[in-house]
Amino acid sequence: MTVITDTVRPHRSLWGDAFIRLRRNRLAVTGGVIILLIALTTIIYPFFSRYDFASQDLNAILQSPSMKHFLGTDELGRDVFTRLIYGARTSLSVGIFTQLIVLGIGLPLGAISGAAGGRADNLIMRFVDVIYAFPDLLLIILLRAILGGSIYMIFLAIGLVSWVNVARLVRGQTLALKQRDFVTAARVFGGFGSYITTRHLLPNSLGPVIVAVTFNIPRAIFAEAALAYIGIGVKPPTPSWGAMIRDGNNVIFAAPHLVLFPAIAIGILMLSFTFLGDGLRDALDPRLRR
Amino acid sequence: MTKYILHRIFWLIVVLLVVSFITFSLMHLVPGGPWDKEKTLAPQVVEALNKKYGLDKPFFVQFGNYLVNLLHGDLGVSYSRQDRSVTSILLTGLPKTATLGAIAFFLAIIIGIPFGMAAALKQNSAIDYISVLFSTIFASIPGFVLGILLIIIFSVTLHWLPTGGWGGIRQIIMPAFALATLPAAFIARITRASTLEVIRQDYIRTAQAMGLQQRVILVRHILRNSLIPVVTVAGPELAFLISGSFIIENLFSIPGIGRLFVNGVFARDYGLIMGSILFYAFAVASINLVVDLLYAVIDPRIRFD
Amino acid sequence: MSDKPLLEVRNLSTYFYTQDGIVKAVDGVSYAVDRGETIALVGESGCGKTVSALSILRLIPEPPGKIASGEILFDGIDILTLPKDRMLDIRGDRIAMIFQEPLTALNPVLTIGLQITEALERHRNMHGAVALEEAIRLLKIVGIPQPDQRVKDYPHQFSGGMRQRAMIALAISCEPELIIADEPTTVVDVTIQAQLLELIRGITEKLNTALILITHNLGIVARYAHRVYVMYAGHIIEHGSSQDIYHHPCHPYTIGLLASVPRLDEPRKTRLQPIEGQPPDLIQLPPGCAFGPRCSYVIDACRQAAPPMTEVSPGHYAACRLAVPDRKQS
Repeated sequence: MTVITDTVRPHRSLWGDAFIRLRRNRLAVTGGVIILLIALTTIIYPFFSRYDFASQDLNAILQSPSMKHFLGTDELGRDVFTRLIYGARTSLSVGIFTQLIVLGIGLPLGAISGAAGGRADNLIMRFVDVIYAFPDLLLIILLRAILGGSIYMIFLAIGLVSWVNVARLVRGQTLALKQRDFVTAARVFGGFGSYITTRHLLPNSLGPVIVAVTFNIPRAIFAEAALAYIGIGVKPPTPSWGAMIRDGNNVIFAAPHLVLFPAIAIGILMLSFTFLGDGLRDALDPRLRR
Repeated sequence: MTKYILHRIFWLIVVLLVVSFITFSLMHLVPGGPWDKEKTLAPQVVEALNKKYGLDKPFFVQFGNYLVNLLHGDLGVSYSRQDRSVTSILLTGLPKTATLGAIAFFLAIIIGIPFGMAAALKQNSAIDYISVLFSTIFASIPGFVLGILLIIIFSVTLHWLPTGGWGGIRQIIMPAFALATLPAAFIARITRASTLEVIRQDYIRTAQAMGLQQRVILVRHILRNSLIPVVTVAGPELAFLISGSFIIENLFSIPGIGRLFVNGVFARDYGLIMGSILFYAFAVASINLVVDLLYAVIDPRIRFD
Repeated sequence: MSDKPLLEVRNLSTYFYTQDGIVKAVDGVSYAVDRGETIALVGESGCGKTVSALSILRLIPEPPGKIASGEILFDGIDILTLPKDRMLDIRGDRIAMIFQEPLTALNPVLTIGLQITEALERHRNMHGAVALEEAIRLLKIVGIPQPDQRVKDYPHQFSGGMRQRAMIALAISCEPELIIADEPTTVVDVTIQAQLLELIRGITEKLNTALILITHNLGIVARYAHRVYVMYAGHIIEHGSSQDIYHHPCHPYTIGLLASVPRLDEPRKTRLQPIEGQPPDLIQLPPGCAFGPRCSYVIDACRQAAPPMTEVSPGHYAACRLAVPDRKQS
C-alpha cells in the first residue's frame, strides 16, 4: 500500500566532492593556473634565457621595455624580466618551504595540545599567546638578524613565527573532534592516545589545515619581500622582488618600471594564492549543501 | 566582571615580561656586538663602552636592571646616538605613527563597514558583487604594493602628490590609504558576513512583525548585532595598523617609529630595537585588552558570564 | 458584534521558487476568524500552517517565496493589495504574532523593556517614562514577577517560560484585534504549557481578541479553540467546530491523527498507531488527493482528482470522497 521512495545520490568521498566544487570556482582555478604557470616558468626559463640574473651591461642601463629586453633593464644593465623570474623562484620557494617548518612545528604542537589537554595544553597555548603578542614582521626581522641571510635561514625565521596559526587551528580541531563519537568508539576498541591522534584526529583536521597553509603562503611571500625591501633579505646577488623594489626606488622617477613590475608581481602571486585558498575553503566546507 | 579585567591585565603583564625576556635574549644572540660598525674600535674603547652600559655584567643582572628601568618608563639608552634615551627617540616618532595609524583606521572603518552592510542588504546585486570582489582583492594585496602603485600613479606620472615625507594632507593621504585598504577590505568582508547572518535571524522577523520601519530595524536591531564580530577583529586590525605600518613608513619616508626601528636594526642599536619591540608589544596587547572590554559592553550576553 | 468575519483568508496560495522546483507550501487555502473567536490550525510539520500565517502578515521572504494568489480580507479590506507602509501600520498594531522560539525571536542585545517600548512608540505614541510604565504593566499582566526590575533585563536572563510570557506581552502591547500564535508552547514543558495557554485564553477573552492558534498538538486544541482547521500538504482537508473534529472526524488523516495521540486513559500496553508513510514532497505532489498515498481508504477516483470540500454536517466540512453527510454518528 505505501511506497517509500528515496533519492539515492552517487557516492562521493569528501575529497572528490571538494575537488569538483573547487573546479567550479573560477577565481580559484585562475589563481591555481597562475601559480602553476609561474612555477613552471621559474623551472624552465633558465634553460632558455639569453640573460643571467647577474650579468650586467653597463652600456644599457635603465632602459624601458623593448624587444631586446622584454621588461627593460635596471640600473646595472641587468635584464629585468630575468631577474623577475628568478625573484619568483625566491618568493615561491620561501612561500612554500616555509610551510614545511610551519607544519613541522604547528601540527604536532597543536595536536598534542588539543589531544592531551591539561597542563601540556596550557603551557603550549601560553607560549603561542606570547609569540602572537609579537608583531610578526618585527620578530621575523629579529630572527633573521640572528640567523643570517642564507635562504634556509630565511625559511626558518619566517617559519618560526608563522606556525602559531596552524597550531591553534589543529588544537581547536582536535578539541572538537575529541568529543565526537567515533573517537570514543576507537577508544572502546582499544585505541590509545597517539594512535587515535594520528589515525583519527589528524586526518579529520586536514581540510582546514590545508586552507590555513594556503593562506599562509602569501604572508610568507610578503615577509620575504619585506625583509628584502628593508635590506636584510636573501643575500645578493640572488634576486628578490623586495630587493628590486628597494633598488628601483632610488630611480623611481627615471625608471618607474623597475619598481612597478616587481610590485605587480608580488600582488599577483599573493592574490592567486588567496583566491586558491578561498576556493579551497569553500570547497572543503561541509556545511555548504549541494 | 572586574575579576575578568584583572585576570586580563595580569596576563598582559606576564606576556610583556616574557616578550621582553625573549627579545632581550635574542638581542644577545645576534652575532656581532652592539659596537660592530663600519669602523672598528679599539678594544679599550669597546671595554669602556661595555662598562658604561652595563654590558659586562652577567646576563640576568642586565635583564633585571632593564626591567627595573622599564618600570620607570625608561627604555634604556640608544647605542648609536648615545646622547639620547630610547624613550625620547621613540617619542619623536610616536606622534607620526599614531596619527598615521589612527587616520588609516578611521578610513578603514568608514569604507569597510558601509560597503559590507550595503553588500549584505542588497545581496546578489551589483554592489554586492563589486564589494566582494574588491574586498577579496584588497585583502590579499599588501599595502606596500598598493603604496607603490599609488606613488607611481600620483607622484611619478601625475605629479600631484609628493612621494613621501611628513607635513600635511598631501603627504599623509597616500600612506594612509595604502595602510587602510587591507583592514578596510577585511572589515568589509566581516561586516558583510555578519550582517547576512543577522538579517536571517528570527528577531529581525519579530521586529518586522511588530510593524517597525526598515530604517529603525536597520539602526537599532541590525547594526548593533552586525557590529559585534567587527569589533572583535577591529582590535587586531588596529594592532596590525600600528605594527605593519613600518613598511609603509619606510616607503613614504615617514619619520615614525617604524623607520626608527628599521634604522635601529641596521645600526645594531640594541637599545632602540628592544625599545621598539616592547613598545609594539605593549601597544598591541593593550589595544586587544581594550577591544575585549569594549566587546563586553556591546554584547550583554558576555557581561553576565 | 458584526457578522462579517474579522479575518478571511480566501484561496491563498504561497509558493517558494527553489532550484529544485516550486514548493507549494500553501495551495488554495481558505479560513476565517470572527472577532473574539479562537481557531486552531492543526497539522504536522511542513503542512503549511506557519507559512499561511506569515502570509497574513506578508512576512514571506520575497525571493524565494511569493504569495501567488488569493485574497486576505482583514476587516473587509484585502491587505494583500495594501501599500507597504499601510501594512507596517497594521503589523503589531492590529494583527500581532507570537513566535515559536522566544530565545531566537527576541533581540539578544536589547532589553525586554526596550523591545516592548519601541512597539509602543511606533503604534501607541507612548514615549519615555510613560512607555516604560506601560511595559512594566504589560509584564505584570503576563505574570512576570518583579516586572519593574525585569524590564531592564536581557532575553538570555529569562527562563524559557518567562521569555514566552515576554513575547506574549510584546504581542498584546498595542492591543491588537487579532493574534497569531505559532506553536507558542512547543519549546516549554507541559506544566508551563498549560499556564501559558490559560494566560493566552484569559487575555483573549478579556480583550475580545481573535486568536489563530497554530499547533501540531491536538491535545490543546479541544480545550482552547472554537473551531479547528486541519491542514495537510498545503491544503485544508477538514474543518469544523472542535466538537465536530474531535468526536466526529471524517477525513482519514484527521482520524489517523486523533488515533495516534497517546492517551492516558488507555492501557499502557496499547500500541501507538502512527499514520503510515511519509509526508509528501511539496514539489512533486501527486495529481489527486495529496493524502492518497498514505490513505487506507483510497479509491481510484482519489488518485485522479483532488476531492472537493463536502459539507458533512452544518459547519463541518471535509475534503474526502468518502465523507458523506450521513456518515456522521452522534
